[in-house]
Amino acid sequence: MTATTEPILEVTGLVKHYPLTQGVLFRKQVGAVKAVDGVDFTLGRGETLGIVGESGCGKSTVAKLLCSLERPTAGSILFKGEDITRLSGRALKAVRRNIQMVFQDPYTSLNPRMTVGDIVGEPYDIHPEVAPKGDRRRRVQELLDVVGLNPEYVNRYPHQFSGGQRQRIGIARGLALRPEVIVADEPVSALDVSVQAQVVNLLDRLQAEFDLSYVFIAHDLSVVRHISDRVGVMYLGRIVEIGRDAEIYDHPTHPYTQALLSAVPVPDPEAREHRERIILTGDVPSPTNIPSGCRFRTRCWKAQERCAREVPALAVPAAFRDASGPAAHDSACHFAAERQVVPAEGEHGNGPG
Amino acid sequence: MPEQSYEPEGAIAGTGMGGAMDLGVSEAATLERTPGGPGGTGPAGRPRSLWSDAWRDLRRNPVFLISGLVIAFLVLISLWPSAIASGSPLKCDLAKAQDGAGPGAPFGYDGQGCNVYTRTVYGARTSVTVGVLATLGVAVAGSVLGALAGYFGGVWDSVLSRVTDIFFAIPVVLGGLVLLSVVTSKTVWPVIGFMVLLGWPQISRIARGSVITAKQNDYVQAARALGASDSRILLRHIAPNAVAPVIVVATIALGTYIALEATLSYLGVGLKPPSVSWGIDISSASPYIRNAPHALLWPSGALAVTVLAFIMLGDAVRDALDPKLR
Amino acid sequence: MLLEVRDLHVEFRTRDGVAHAVNGVSYEVDAGETLAVLGESGSGKSVTAQAVMGILDMPPGRITGGRILFQGRDLLKLREEERRKVRGAGMAMIFQDALSALNPVISVGDQLGEMFVVHRGMSKKDARARAVELMERVRIPAAAQRVRDYPHQFSGGMRQRIMIAMALALEPALVIADEPTTALDVTVQAQVMDLLAELQREYRMGLILITHDLGVVADVADRIAVMYAGKIVESAPVHDLYKAPAHPYTRGLLDSIPRLDQKGQELYAIKGLPPNLMDIPPGCSFHPRCPMARDVCRTDEPPLYEVSGVRGSACHFWRECLDDRDH
Repeated sequence: MTATTEPILEVTGLVKHYPLTQGVLFRKQVGAVKAVDGVDFTLGRGETLGIVGESGCGKSTVAKLLCSLERPTAGSILFKGEDITRLSGRALKAVRRNIQMVFQDPYTSLNPRMTVGDIVGEPYDIHPEVAPKGDRRRRVQELLDVVGLNPEYVNRYPHQFSGGQRQRIGIARGLALRPEVIVADEPVSALDVSVQAQVVNLLDRLQAEFDLSYVFIAHDLSVVRHISDRVGVMYLGRIVEIGRDAEIYDHPTHPYTQALLSAVPVPDPEAREHRERIILTGDVPSPTNIPSGCRFRTRCWKAQERCAREVPALAVPAAFRDASGPAAHDSACHFAAERQVVPAEGEHGNGPG
Repeated sequence: MPEQSYEPEGAIAGTGMGGAMDLGVSEAATLERTPGGPGGTGPAGRPRSLWSDAWRDLRRNPVFLISGLVIAFLVLISLWPSAIASGSPLKCDLAKAQDGAGPGAPFGYDGQGCNVYTRTVYGARTSVTVGVLATLGVAVAGSVLGALAGYFGGVWDSVLSRVTDIFFAIPVVLGGLVLLSVVTSKTVWPVIGFMVLLGWPQISRIARGSVITAKQNDYVQAARALGASDSRILLRHIAPNAVAPVIVVATIALGTYIALEATLSYLGVGLKPPSVSWGIDISSASPYIRNAPHALLWPSGALAVTVLAFIMLGDAVRDALDPKLR
Repeated sequence: MLLEVRDLHVEFRTRDGVAHAVNGVSYEVDAGETLAVLGESGSGKSVTAQAVMGILDMPPGRITGGRILFQGRDLLKLREEERRKVRGAGMAMIFQDALSALNPVISVGDQLGEMFVVHRGMSKKDARARAVELMERVRIPAAAQRVRDYPHQFSGGMRQRIMIAMALALEPALVIADEPTTALDVTVQAQVMDLLAELQREYRMGLILITHDLGVVADVADRIAVMYAGKIVESAPVHDLYKAPAHPYTRGLLDSIPRLDQKGQELYAIKGLPPNLMDIPPGCSFHPRCPMARDVCRTDEPPLYEVSGVRGSACHFWRECLDDRDH
């Protein structure tokens, strides 16, 4: 399935294995952590792609690969048609201007010994061609204003701010070079509920203002739905289902997506009573020892012999190939079937406003 | 209408808002002091940096001022000892051995009849030189090697770790007896060189550990994502956040180096007499502690004050480099 | 009543001043009941629980007023020795981070068994047998083999089960669970929460569930107490609170959660930041962030008004808040 607009990022066959070694001086490889094990997706210009999954599914590694913080073991990441995984030196630095990252933990993502002005202005020190020296301070203050902070705070240190404000500082730093893509790795999960909404709204507003494309990575399915145009669900290093937000949330066809959606606690005791819950047994297998065939089969209630033999491809399942409805989206399951786990909109009234 | 998400100006909350953390003790301790406190308020005037803020802080810190004065005084008398002490530290008169204070000798005379005051003043030069240079050498060599090993990891890290293990296994005094007994030079350099050779692994291990800790922070990843070079990351992001334990250990080590010089001199492999040093004086006075305690007390007192001054200085610098304590 | 907290005050003395963490909290829990204490970081929810458990770090913490009645006895008046007996046998706590709450160098079987050796004077062998039994109760597969394993050899969900087993070992009358599922993945969260609810019914114990997650609360709690700046601002049975909150803070929290089944345009966001506990605003502590605030809110501190027999709200305008909800 392709994005509706011209793609700005195209990821194909992305793999990242971390070797497990033994020995001190003479290391020998004894296995590998298969953090990312074959991921494909495209991101359209101005679009938000949400990636959800549980801890250890490899979503944060994908973020690092997209931002060239790690080199993939295999696969390619095309930014406007150019493969950035093979770049180094000056060419890599140029690409980095265009893909920036917002981090999860607002406490460790800002250097405690730098002032806010230095943190937000550092991108200009590293890429001096972006802003002439005399102009930098004004730009930094403008950025602080854009993210909703008092521009006079430039001389303060991170510890003088609350978590939500720190996250805004991190966002301002990410915006400094006017990137086209922002990869946000769990940007609100460390924040309090009342502050989460402020930051989500800010990200929404900035997207329109700066014409940004987002890859939004999170474990919170509700936040992801709120901000994303398309959503990919990851399990053990692979995307198991991907599609437009309504396709994934209202018409999921992969059993893992269905279980994940049904497990989300809903802040409404009455809605809960109408809701069917799928409780998965067991834990996610270790990424050093991925099950054969379909990697979800060890926890799947539908698993059959075929699932252990054949790896299901991420494509529109055969059952829906001729249909054009919302159930016809990519889903890596041999026995894909629609199952509504989230009650349709409007069945109960407790929404905002 | 949804609220615009601006936060009220000046409302800097102190409570941390990390996910599920509730107000615990550690968080209560980081609560924001009232706006208006030093360092951080006021309109955006001149841009400030960690170092300029640290300097501003130090200038107002009495601990820094006192220790700075003591150290400045020590440096001055090391350069011009004759300014405050007349006579030669080598001019001794056995007839006056173990005498108390007298004219021109406020600290009295030692077992050889040498003027304790003059010797203490002249001894500052060797002791301070040995202490400061050995510490500097150890700190520079140790932190550079440790930081590189911690930052780049890999084979060099493994090699360095094994080498430090080997050095840790060498007993200092025995090593000094073996290595220094073959040197004939009468200068302080062999002693300093020996201390750096055996001392750097201690600092390198600490530097390596704190660099590894600092490296794991997201702000290092953020700098890398911006395209920062390794040297920029090491100098701007990692060093300031990893330097505190090195400063602490190095200032404490400074005292032990001065004491080690004394030990080695006592054993006859450090500085040899005509050299004047506190260490030599302490060791030569110790047999007479009952009859002439003053000959021991003055050089040891000078040593204690010097060590304390450097430790206080290190403490003040470390605190000034931590914005959280401002 | 199993537990009654009456007008509890806790403060922390720090270098920079006094942080008022808990400012007059009262709540009660009956046997077999689940009370959820909901709040953001800094609301005082965990500090209150630590005071009840008697594990508050003092100093810097200090209980400056109030009573904690457990089975009729005021815990604050007990000697440390008697207090220790109450802990473990009478009440137990489940922590958020099972990895750091379990001792990494002792096998889980020994950690579970120790409870029986220390409190019940059992032999090591019997204690080991009880440990296996407990692990089976919390549905750890192959318990008899895994009893010798160390905490790091278990997954996050399994570790949390071991924590639950430890808390339930002596069949306490009250269990306090501080964010028990926050560190877990959603699919595992549901398993652990279900287990906890089931065991609670079985043992008929009182459960205090401390959380910041409105979703988790809706699943299991009977009543909710919402905390803000060290006070309870609303207290109500679960259904009432979600249907019609009687305090603007609760309403703001409910509205600011993105919903799985709806894709809104912009999220409602409570403006501003949680208060600085060293400088709590006068009057109603929520007034700087409240869309309904009027002059009286800036000067007069609202008491916990009785909204109905079973619920209360610390808002001068709780009636309007309730009405607002209807349209």
